[in-house]
Amino acid sequence: MREQSARYFFLIMIPAFVLLTLFLYYPIIQGTVIAFQKYTLFDMTNTPFIGFDNFKAIFTDINFNFGQIMLNTLIWVCVSLALQFVLGFILALLMQKPFRGRGIYSSLVFYPWALSGFAIGLVWAWIFNGQFGLVNDILLRLGLISNPVGFLSNPSYAMASVIVANIWYGVPFFAIMLLAALQSVPAELMEAGKIDGAGPLRRLFSITIPYIKPTIISTTLLRTMWIMNFPDIIYAMTGGGPSNSTNILATQMINKILKFYDYGQGSAFGVVIMVLLFTYALLYLRLTSGKEETF
Amino acid sequence: MLKRSLLMLVVLTLLVSATVSANTITLNFLEVMTSPERTALLRDLIAEYEAMNPSIKINLISPPYEQADQKATLMLNTNQDLDIIEIRDYTVKQFVNNKKLTDLTPYYEAWSEAETLTPVAIAAAKTVDDTPYLVPQAIFIKALYARTDVLAEYGITEMPETVEELIEICRQITDPSKNQYGFAWRGKGATMKFGDLFASVCVDDVANSEFIYSEDETFFLDPGFKQGMEAYITLFKEGTPPDGINWGFNEQVNGFVSGTTPFLIQDPDAIPLINNLLGEDKYEVVPLPVGPHDFTLIDYGFCGMGIPSYSKHKEEAWNFIQWISSAEKNGYFNEHWGPLPVHRTTFDINEHFQGKHYQAYRYEMANPDTFLLKTYPLASAKWPGWDVVYETDVQSVLLGRMTLDQMLQKWTDYWTK
Amino acid sequence: MKLLLRTLKVLLLGLFLVVALGPLYWVIVTSLKGGQEIYTFPIRYWPSEVTFENYKYLFRISDFSIYFKNSLLISLLASAGALLISVFSGYALSRIRSRRPKLILLLGMYFTQIIPTYMLMSPLFISLAKIGMTDSLIAITFVYVSMMIAFSTIMAKSFFDRIPVALEEVAMTDGCTRTQTIVKVVLPLTLPGLAAIFSFAFVNIWNELFLAVMLLSSNHNMTVPVALNSFISKAGVNWGVLSAGIVVALLPTMLVFAFAQRYIIMGLTEGAVKG
Repeated sequence: MREQSARYFFLIMIPAFVLLTLFLYYPIIQGTVIAFQKYTLFDMTNTPFIGFDNFKAIFTDINFNFGQIMLNTLIWVCVSLALQFVLGFILALLMQKPFRGRGIYSSLVFYPWALSGFAIGLVWAWIFNGQFGLVNDILLRLGLISNPVGFLSNPSYAMASVIVANIWYGVPFFAIMLLAALQSVPAELMEAGKIDGAGPLRRLFSITIPYIKPTIISTTLLRTMWIMNFPDIIYAMTGGGPSNSTNILATQMINKILKFYDYGQGSAFGVVIMVLLFTYALLYLRLTSGKEETF
Repeated sequence: MLKRSLLMLVVLTLLVSATVSANTITLNFLEVMTSPERTALLRDLIAEYEAMNPSIKINLISPPYEQADQKATLMLNTNQDLDIIEIRDYTVKQFVNNKKLTDLTPYYEAWSEAETLTPVAIAAAKTVDDTPYLVPQAIFIKALYARTDVLAEYGITEMPETVEELIEICRQITDPSKNQYGFAWRGKGATMKFGDLFASVCVDDVANSEFIYSEDETFFLDPGFKQGMEAYITLFKEGTPPDGINWGFNEQVNGFVSGTTPFLIQDPDAIPLINNLLGEDKYEVVPLPVGPHDFTLIDYGFCGMGIPSYSKHKEEAWNFIQWISSAEKNGYFNEHWGPLPVHRTTFDINEHFQGKHYQAYRYEMANPDTFLLKTYPLASAKWPGWDVVYETDVQSVLLGRMTLDQMLQKWTDYWTK
Repeated sequence: MKLLLRTLKVLLLGLFLVVALGPLYWVIVTSLKGGQEIYTFPIRYWPSEVTFENYKYLFRISDFSIYFKNSLLISLLASAGALLISVFSGYALSRIRSRRPKLILLLGMYFTQIIPTYMLMSPLFISLAKIGMTDSLIAITFVYVSMMIAFSTIMAKSFFDRIPVALEEVAMTDGCTRTQTIVKVVLPLTLPGLAAIFSFAFVNIWNELFLAVMLLSSNHNMTVPVALNSFISKAGVNWGVLSAGIVVALLPTMLVFAFAQRYIIMGLTEGAVKG
């Protein structure tokens, strides 16, 4: 019986892994090789292997300080993720119990997730425009400010502004996923908690969260990966500026490819992203897997 | 008997199918300066050509502007079926390096209308190795756009003729409390095309140099360049919204159309857009202001059509290129798209380019001693990405994160080391 | 106290809605404005004259209805395909007991999510070009299925994890095969989760831009995001038409959400686990 099921499990996973191998694993190996080549579109007739030179070049680039790019990436990922998760969870909890119009409400409140990245970037670039933007217009009308604020042109606000746009976009993901998970929390568990005299907060932390922990772990891990690899919003809103203050690994990778025509260094950035995320995933899965089986 | 008739049948079928396939040739044409309006325009032209040449079908491929160059590169480097490819200033050298373009010299020699190409167009065609790898379709040069209605409110009716005057007027009318500024700053994307108009024009030697700067010759440490940069920074601090640091094309146009910044420096393809957003009568286009040495720089951008080196239908491709590049068709194309046409004669026969907004551009091209046609070293390996370095450094200086001297030294090192 | 909590809840729900809808309102208003009103400042929050010109223009200037059909077809097929494949791979991942193979397989899934799309673009293009499969809607559907498999599998696994194995064992002692058990017992219990997975896959594919630009060429194969992106040209963004396009492109995704949320919210698991 045991052996039979193992074979069955193996069989039903074949389609998935065949497709992944063809369209993801194989191309990414090729893409990774480029990181070790001198590979610029400027001269494709000569693409020798150069070891780790591309990595050295991006770590020591005087035009784009690697340390700052790393720090920006860290802020971008952590703040976006934390706030998206917390707000998404709050929204899911608010929507957990039925109320009139919940159906319509959910389609309306979830739609940001249905927009494409470049459109979000463009629209938010306008909203946060430091001269003609909506936010400035509203603040000016309310008399809260007397001069427009350069949300995207002032390095002190630029990162916060792109993160706000990203949070706006990402809250629905967590809300939908957690809402779906919340539906599966057995009502009798909650009843039992109530009978034991646990308050709402206590029930949240000792019943609900442990119960939906697998969903929490997988969604936060996935989102970390996606946010790190999501240059669209920043690219449209600030292009990584002003003065590199919103430049993250993913945007700099695009810069290297689209502006410098340097696929070698671009892929080197890609490899850095992948190494960081892979290490993170290993640690995260290890740390979050307690005694009970969560992965 | 049966065998023979069967054989005949086979031979006949083969012959018929051979002549049919020889009868229609499909040319694949990739455009890169895409916009839906331009694509529609090209399709109309193609339909006209196909009607005249029933044996030719042209399949137009139109990737969105922002990704088009990358798609073109990928397709060329993998020898995808392409017979006509649109090439632009930024990509021509790379395509030639990778041996993907046909040298068009023999075709040019047999082309009667090659003689009427403007000097800019010829220079554009021969950007790489003094060899024509493309037939230019459109030329982009800059001019100064001024909101005459807004400026009139401040009693300004004379348009600035020098960079100094421009900066002065901008400072005069700037009043943040009224949300009034002077100049639509460019802080994002191709920013050197704006900065160099203020700094490089202050360097006397630029007049005699082949490029605005290059690996062989830089002027960043010239006192004139520094002065020019200082004036440019002054313009930012005293005549431009601080948000300009993050302005790209859209924000510039927004500033101009809303009247917040009544001066804008742009290419002629902004004219249809501004007409649509503002109407034709609230603004004027005047020649670029000159620097202290009585010249200014016209950095020209261009795009044109070439034939991939591996194309199997070069003759047919050239036929189409020749047809669409005639003074008449090219005039029609640019009239509806916006940039400048490539033939001298077009300016005389096409009424559109005699219109008031184009006069500044004609004037600039007619006075090459004042409006020096200069370009960037597009063939240099240092060129790709310079745009981003320039933009980031100027932002750093404006934000006080780097000193002007540090930046100038850094740029010198970038180009010469 | 109860009233206070209720008011707070309503207030919070309202706040979420207003923040979410603000930008959409702005896009809709912009799509209804004429050219001369788009760049006015102070901003006009309602067009002085409502016009549908931008919508008409969108369909006139390009073959938008063809792009719309292409996108709909690709997105439906690819997300359904991804869901079908992932139901099985997700189930297997959930039920495999030996730790090490499980961890490796799971990491194999997560690994695909750390790949930057930009790194895939040219190798994928080159491989597909070699077998003459560029500019093919079928090929890109397969690519999209592959891109969505990992996410769908991971999500499906986390939903299956909560279904007690005991339920399946009952079915299997009743004579069901594994596959029958999955279809008859496991799937109904995880329907809300599967609906969520489908809607996410659909939305992701519907909005995918870069691969569509690179892998598809002909006009009759273009998709909606590519068409929308073409309204950004050298001469800036055509805001009016782009906004109209964004609104039109939102309709199917919102429909899918509306459909999916019914299942997400229904809470089908509740009754079943009880019984």
